[in-house]
This record gives sequence, C-alpha cells and structure tokens, in this order.
Amino acid sequence: MFLTKAAAFIKRDFLTEISYKSAFLMNIIGIFFSALTFYFIAKLFGQAAAPHLQEYGGDYFPFVLIGIAFSTFLGVGLGTSANALRQEQMIGTLEAMLITPTRASSIVVYLSLWNFIYSSFNILVYLLIGRLVFGVPLTISHPFLILVILFLSILSFSSLGIISSCFVMVFKRGNPVNWIVSSSFDLLGGVYYPISILPGPLQVISHALPITYALKALRGVLLAGYAFDQVRTEIFALFGFAFVLFPLALLLFEFALRWAKREGSLSQY
Amino acid sequence: MTESSVIVTTDLTKHFTPSSNLIDFFPRLLKKKSVIRALEGVSIEVSKGEVFALLGPNGAGKTTLIKILCTLIVPTRGEALVGGHDVLKNGGEVRRSIGLVTGEERSFYWRLSGRQNLRFFGALHNMKTDEVKKRIRSVVDLLDMKGFIDMRFDEYSTGMKQHLAVARSLLSDAEILFMDEPTKSLDHSSAERLRRFIRERIAGEEKKTVVFTTHVLNEAAGFADRMALMDKGIVRASGTISELRTQIQNPEATLEDIFDHFT
Repeated sequence: MFLTKAAAFIKRDFLTEISYKSAFLMNIIGIFFSALTFYFIAKLFGQAAAPHLQEYGGDYFPFVLIGIAFSTFLGVGLGTSANALRQEQMIGTLEAMLITPTRASSIVVYLSLWNFIYSSFNILVYLLIGRLVFGVPLTISHPFLILVILFLSILSFSSLGIISSCFVMVFKRGNPVNWIVSSSFDLLGGVYYPISILPGPLQVISHALPITYALKALRGVLLAGYAFDQVRTEIFALFGFAFVLFPLALLLFEFALRWAKREGSLSQY
Repeated sequence: MTESSVIVTTDLTKHFTPSSNLIDFFPRLLKKKSVIRALEGVSIEVSKGEVFALLGPNGAGKTTLIKILCTLIVPTRGEALVGGHDVLKNGGEVRRSIGLVTGEERSFYWRLSGRQNLRFFGALHNMKTDEVKKRIRSVVDLLDMKGFIDMRFDEYSTGMKQHLAVARSLLSDAEILFMDEPTKSLDHSSAERLRRFIRERIAGEEKKTVVFTTHVLNEAAGFADRMALMDKGIVRASGTISELRTQIQNPEATLEDIFDHFT
C-alpha cells in the first residue's frame, strides 16, 4: 500500500506541476543563471580560495556548484513538509485527507515525495550544466555511495522539515524552525565556503549540523573520488542524525496534530 | 443504545479556548482566556440506514459535532461511537467506516480533473488502483457524472463540485456518510435534486446511514427520517417530525415553528 499511496501523491503533484506550462523552463533557466553567477565569482576569487580547497582539487567553482546544488536539495527536505502542509490547509484539502484511514504521520511524509524527485532533477541539471557548459570534472565512480549519502541526508533533513511542519500545524505562520535551521545551514554548513575558514567556536557548531557531513561526503565522492572508507565518519554521523531525528519528528507531528484537533484549528491557516 | 445504532454520542461537549500565538501557551500567567462553548452535553443516537438531520442556525454546533464524529476535532468531554468504534480510541477504524461531504468548494485539487481527484483520494482509502478505477466507474454512473468527470475541477460549476464531493464520500463504500451543509451553495432545484438523490439512491438503494446538517430548517421536512434541533451547542429536541409536532401539541407546525418553540 505504501507504493500505491506514494505513487498517488507523486502523480497528483506531477499533474499539478505540468499544468503550469512555463514553470519547468523557467526553472532550468534559473539554474543556469545561478551556476553562471557562481562561475564568475569563482573567476574573481577562485585563486584566493584554492589553499582551503586542496582536499577537493583546489578549484572553487566545482566546490560551490556541488554546495548550491545539494543545499537546494537538502533545503527541500527542510521546507517541503511545512510548505506542503500549509498549502493543503490553504486549499482546503487537509481535512479531506485526514478523514481517510491513512495515518497523518504517513501523509506528511508522502507530501514531500514529489519535491524530492523534482529537486533530484534539479541537481542533475546543475551537474550537467557544470560538466557540459563549464567543464567541471565530476567523478561518478561510486554511485551507490552517493545514493546512501543522499538517502541518509534526506531522512535527517526531512525530519527537521517535519518538526518545522509541527509549527505550521500549531501556529500556522511564523515558523522559527525553518528560519533558524536554513540560516544556520547557509552560514555554517559549508555551502559557499569550507568550514575550515570559520572561527573555532563556529566550526564546533557546524559539526552539529547534518548538512556539514552531507556536503563533505558528497564533495569527497564527486570531486575527489572517495570510497566508503574515506567518508565513513560522515555516513555514520548522518545515520546518527536520521536515527534520532526521524522518530522524534513523527512523534512531535502526532502531538501537534492532536493539539490542532483539540483546538479545532486543522483547516485554519 | 439499540443494536441498530451506528452513531451514539453521550454527553458530548466541546469547549474551544482559542490560541494561535506563542503567548497563548502561557495563558493563565498572562491573561484570562475566553471559552467558546461549541457543544454542551450532546447525546444522540442514529440508527443504521437512517437519514438523520442536524438542524440549527449558524453557530449551533452542527459542524463541530460532525467534525468530532469524523475524528477531526477532539471533544472536551463525553463519548462518541461511530460504527461501534470510539472516535478517540479507534480513530482509524472510524475513518474506515465514514465518508464526508461538505459545502466547502475548496477541498479538491483545482488543476486536476474530477477523475484524477477521485483516484488520489481512493488511494488514501487504501484502495488498490484497479479497485479505485472500478469504484469510480460505479459512482460516476450512480451520480450521472460521465459528462464532466474528466474536466478539470476549476472548470466545474457549483453543482458539479457538489456531485464530486458526494462521489468522493461514496468511493470507499463507507457505511456512514456525513454531509455538512451539502446544499449550502446550490440553487433551489439543484438542492432539491441532491436531497432526492440522497433519500432515494444513497439511503434507499445503497442502504447508507446519512447524517445531514442544514441551517435551512424546512429543508429537512419530508427528507430526514429523524432530526435533532440544535441551538447554542445544545440539542433542544429530537425525533421524527410528527413526534416533534406532538411534543409541542401542534400537528400543523412547520419545522420553524417547532424550532421557535424549543428555543
């Protein structure tokens, strides 16, 4: 039944997406311009960054390309449950879903599936543009390892996203989790620069964020051709985040749902 | 409670204490909270196969009662059994046995067709793809929706939207259907057609139990088997229309007369 329901959500969102004819093309153009912007920034400052990027080949553009491609993807995990939940509240379909026998905690997971697929496509576009237009040397020698890193990252980030959706369920707007986490990820997660340039105390905080491990592992595998042994620490760290955060997130969501049912505010937005 | 009762509520009470800001989490320290008494000690019984109307003005508590019975709101106190299952302890079982129709036009995906909407909700009812398709064919025939089921929902008229809402409630072949002001946005003749359809096909042929709410009191006359008159969260009277007329000793009374008498 999981697959049937997952397929139903994906199909629903796919059909909605393709009903907006120009959005798909605009998305690809947006990715190209984003990559182009960082390409020129890399030309300007790339040499200064080289000493900090020896681990990844010393070139800033491949480093930041993977940073922005995957942080967008991980950002989807963070924001998609809360955004989708709010969307369902606003279009009035949340209650219609919640009177079906499907568990609410499953619904909140299903709600993010399409966005992950769409973001995976975006990553592919980023990497293809990087490879074909800008000649970025990418190594896909361990595809299974990349999938494992992505899977664990998705679980960690989605868990934070589900916690964030608890705030939407209770407060409707003014969700602090999303803001705090996404800001700290951009600042401290190593998206635009290696965390080695941060002051010591900030580096400590950055090691408490799953994005730091996700990006380090992905850059290692994609840019330096690392195998499992060389990214083992990052994979275990991501597993730890997922193991703790996912059950916690589902528990909090059930609590938030019960709170909203007690308040009678499920369909309010 | 009789053996044929499919819905039983006992002393069902719902008080809302509105809170949507962080500051509302510390109410007793910072300010006195207002309480909205939406339901107060509601006890009703609905028998299998019955069309039961909840009547009352806006704010009477009809929607709150329906939402509690659909597991969308948790009561403050009291008990509610739907299909023999407690709404608090066995919410999943309750949801397996119910369908809900609202007068709310927003509860569908506007950029999908009616059929695509039904397929999506069918999957959430644990139905396999083939089963959903078969069931959609069946409800489309039943509701005579062939002409518009493949149109996008945003092209639907109000009447078509209401048909789709009824189709969704019938999709899982649920025993009990809750209809919350389903005729609210329909014109007189469309509302009359929908009522006849509910009476003759859904209750008559399909043998479903229907709980129907409306604020238009006389709408229930000749349509509902029994009714409960609600006002300010309290059930003021219940029974068949003739029982209610007997209670006020006026055999010619309209539902409005009866309502005025009890409130």
